[in-house]
Amino acid sequence: MLSEQAKQEILASLKKYHDKRSAVMDAVRIAQKENGGHVVKRDMEEIAEILEMQPVEVNAAAAFYTMYRIDKPVGRHHIQVCRNISCSLMGAEHIIKHLERSLGIKTGETTTDHRITLSTVECLGSCGTAPMMQVNDEYYENLTEAKIDELLKKMA
Amino acid sequence: MVTVKINGKEITVEDNTLILDAARDAGYEIPTFCYQADLMGIGSCRMCLVEIEGQKKLQPSCVTPVLHGMSINTDSGTVQTARAGVLEFLLANHAMDCPVCDKGGECELQDMVHKHGPHKGRHAEPKFKFHDKDYVLSPVIIKNSNRCVQCMKCVRVCREVVGQNVLGALGRGDHQEPTSFFRAFMNCEMDGNCIEVCPVGCFMRLPYRYKSRPWDLKSSDTICPYCATGCRMVIEERAGTLMRAKAQLGVGLNSETLCARGRFGQDFVNNPERINQPLVRRYGKLEPVTWEEAISHIKENLTALDGDKIGGIASPRLTNEELYLFQKLMREVLGSPNIDSSSRFSPDAVEGFVAATGMGEGGVSVYDCMEADTVLIIGTHLSDENPVIDYIVRRISASRRMNVIIASPRAMKLDSSANIVLRHNVASENAVLTSLVIGLNEGKLADTLKGMHEAQLDANLKASGVSADLISTVVNRLAASSSIAIIAGTDFLRYPEGISGLGLLKDLLKSRGKKVTVMPVLDRANQRGAWEMGVHPGFGPGYSETRKGLGTEGMLDAAMKGELEALYVVGSDVASMYPGDDFARTALSKVGFLIVQDMFMTETARQAHVVLPGAAHAEKDGTYTNQEGRAQVIKKLLTAPGRAKQDINIIRAIGESFDRSFGPKHFALVLDEIRKEVPSYADVSLSFNNKRNTDNKLDNRGALVKAAAAPAVKVKSFNPASVETSGARFILTTGNHLFHSGRSSMKSETLLGLLKGAVVEISEEDAASLGLKSGEKVRVKGANFEAQMTLLTKKGTKSGVAFIAENFDDAPVNRYFRRGGGIPRVDIIKTI
Ligand code: SF4
Ligand code: SF4
Ligand code: SF4
Ligand code: FES
Ligand code: FES
Repeated sequence: MLSEQAKQEILASLKKYHDKRSAVMDAVRIAQKENGGHVVKRDMEEIAEILEMQPVEVNAAAAFYTMYRIDKPVGRHHIQVCRNISCSLMGAEHIIKHLERSLGIKTGETTTDHRITLSTVECLGSCGTAPMMQVNDEYYENLTEAKIDELLKKMA
Repeated sequence: MVTVKINGKEITVEDNTLILDAARDAGYEIPTFCYQADLMGIGSCRMCLVEIEGQKKLQPSCVTPVLHGMSINTDSGTVQTARAGVLEFLLANHAMDCPVCDKGGECELQDMVHKHGPHKGRHAEPKFKFHDKDYVLSPVIIKNSNRCVQCMKCVRVCREVVGQNVLGALGRGDHQEPTSFFRAFMNCEMDGNCIEVCPVGCFMRLPYRYKSRPWDLKSSDTICPYCATGCRMVIEERAGTLMRAKAQLGVGLNSETLCARGRFGQDFVNNPERINQPLVRRYGKLEPVTWEEAISHIKENLTALDGDKIGGIASPRLTNEELYLFQKLMREVLGSPNIDSSSRFSPDAVEGFVAATGMGEGGVSVYDCMEADTVLIIGTHLSDENPVIDYIVRRISASRRMNVIIASPRAMKLDSSANIVLRHNVASENAVLTSLVIGLNEGKLADTLKGMHEAQLDANLKASGVSADLISTVVNRLAASSSIAIIAGTDFLRYPEGISGLGLLKDLLKSRGKKVTVMPVLDRANQRGAWEMGVHPGFGPGYSETRKGLGTEGMLDAAMKGELEALYVVGSDVASMYPGDDFARTALSKVGFLIVQDMFMTETARQAHVVLPGAAHAEKDGTYTNQEGRAQVIKKLLTAPGRAKQDINIIRAIGESFDRSFGPKHFALVLDEIRKEVPSYADVSLSFNNKRNTDNKLDNRGALVKAAAAPAVKVKSFNPASVETSGARFILTTGNHLFHSGRSSMKSETLLGLLKGAVVEISEEDAASLGLKSGEKVRVKGANFEAQMTLLTKKGTKSGVAFIAENFDDAPVNRYFRRGGGIPRVDIIKTI
């Protein structure tokens, strides 16, 4: 269930667009944030109602982007490693392997203590500082194994 | 116009023609998956790549328009390699389970790979799978996404044509799965157009699952027997059982679309309850007899009767040839003018409607209506009554953006394509149309008349419950349009007062120099044909002058007084459809000799002295005339069960028993006679069935009937419909449910699987104020009948309106009505 506040936020975002439906991206982001990192079926139904769309259209919009997670809860820290061209050229594959090894999970999984979820995403628009990743809302760039070890230590 | 070269051949085409279409015009086929003429182009599958001289990359021909001087190669080596490449990728994850796939043998992917290769793939990686088991999406749809080629036709047809929009493309790239919200069971139109457009075996028919292979099916190209839209379809059988019905891309006005009734409702033909032998009542019981016995029994009982004391009622689902012969038998052999084709509509209303919609002026194509500046839809719940017309309006209005104005008390799916929706009171079509006429006259009147006009306008606005602002918006749109199409439905027959308003508006618009096209929309496949063949007490074939007789109502009146000595009913269930609880049944019981010819033991048949087993459309040859006045051919696929016979042969046998020369003896010869006797049918031809339309216009204009010689019909005025004065909260209206058509669809197992029990529909607000929720069981209580049914709420329906479809056996809506009474009122009460 969306909170009253989330609904207000969604309504406010409508002002940015000519067409109600265009606010679907904002709406899913707001819902996902409120829900701790992933959206659920019920939220998408509510969004559909607010934006006068079909639930499946909200679902389709959300499912297109890696930044939305549908029905898959994430840990407190959601690590999203870019694996698009620039990052791949700069060694994203190593970064991913290193993370998998250090965390003892595979890409797409969450540690048993619900601390960290690891996923891979498409280009995050930070190619100049590749390889890079995003943890929750923060970017971490020019990654090395050492940098990652440092970071992981800080993640409670 | 631009001139281009395709494979060296020069061709001149209209500006903006797609390369694909230009190539097809020039005679070159280009393979496609995602292209479909009626859908928005997305250029996603890349099957249609072509080489354009001077451009390095291949271009998708389905979204690239021709430019002057282009030189295009549709079959070069590069193009061929590209096609094979696209197919190789499509097969990379493809399930390759052809041996167990229902699509095997008619799969576009199979055909394409067979033709364009590659015959060997290089992908060694494990295949990606969406899911393990096929999953069910609705009582008629089962899905396997592992076979998908991501053409998105399913998603697009559901959104752009059907307007239901319940399918989405979830995910991206090769992981994109077109399916429902969370793959859940869908509450949708159940039309299966997603199945029809799917080139592979992803969307599949559940009722047809694992039943047959396409090469084991025998087929015939025919017309849907349900509503009067007249959709073309191919029906297919295996070992005497009708297996499925499908539409054909680019053929018929419906092209690849059908509604749920059309696509899934043809299995009534297989129903084991079909009557398969003639029966005669002996000592109170109906007993099997031979045809000879039945016919001679009929002859004995009809001989020496005064023609005026005989009546005949024939179903508007019979063929033109049968209906023509039926009225000939009644009029010429039995000497009776008492003929009707409806138990629901009064003969006067029919005459007025025929005149006001100008049926005597010849056929009108729905595609002509779609070319108007303004389309006014009134007197019909188009989305449920004639779903394929709803699809056509939605699809064309999305790109043409003409004004679409819908006037109806009940909300409908098509409202979302309308610019203006007039939610008027039940039975106030006349007030709506009169308000428009007054509005159009405003400013053109002498001052002295103005006061009167205003008073009149006020009275009409009050009667319709539509605001003055909305009326004046519509008036402005009409005034600004140079062509107007009016689509008028069966509510004009239920509440005939509207007929005069319809006539007035049409004449006024015409007098202003506007082009006005009126298209009737009807709910029985051959209703228009029945009228044009003269199965009506007020006019003969071709709307000709004739000795007037009694309609259904008059016949039942006469029966009640003991004055109807014989009644011949073909395919009509008078007892179930005629308004009033017991009147029709009592009246029928007083008919001296009742002959009923039908496929099923209907209420009416149970009372008969003789029951004759007739045939279904799939067992007949002949023609139907749809609501537009398009004469189309139906073709025999199956033989009627047991000793049942084609209705035309039964009618003729009765005629022959009186007069050896009664005929003609063959349906095609009957059609020849019709062509001679009914001038408007002079050009009707059996070869109409029916060329593939190459131009995507879907409009076989040759099939439209011509104007009648001197139609003996007039626009009349009728009294306003009265509404019962009981204090009950809702006014009851009726019509057809989306999944049903009259009572015949109640014999289709598949349609019963979609909806069996009665439902009553009211607005969301009304339900809320009664503390009721959609899906709850309620009692609907009228003055003379009450029944239990399921409540359905609809957003946007007028408050105070309740709708119960006329189709349900468990809540026969005719019983709420009273013969000669006003429109009934009902209360809706929660059942505890
Ligand atoms: S049956 Fe019709 S409404 Fe339902 S999903 Fe398919 S196309 Fe859409
Ligand atoms: S399910 Fe069928 S129609 Fe839909 S995208 Fe896949 S192949 Fe095309
Ligand atoms: S019921 Fe009417 S709209 Fe539906 S398929 Fe048959 S003719 Fe077409
Ligand atoms: S490719 Fe990684 S940020 Fe652009
Ligand atoms: S048919 Fe042209 S891209 Fe699919």
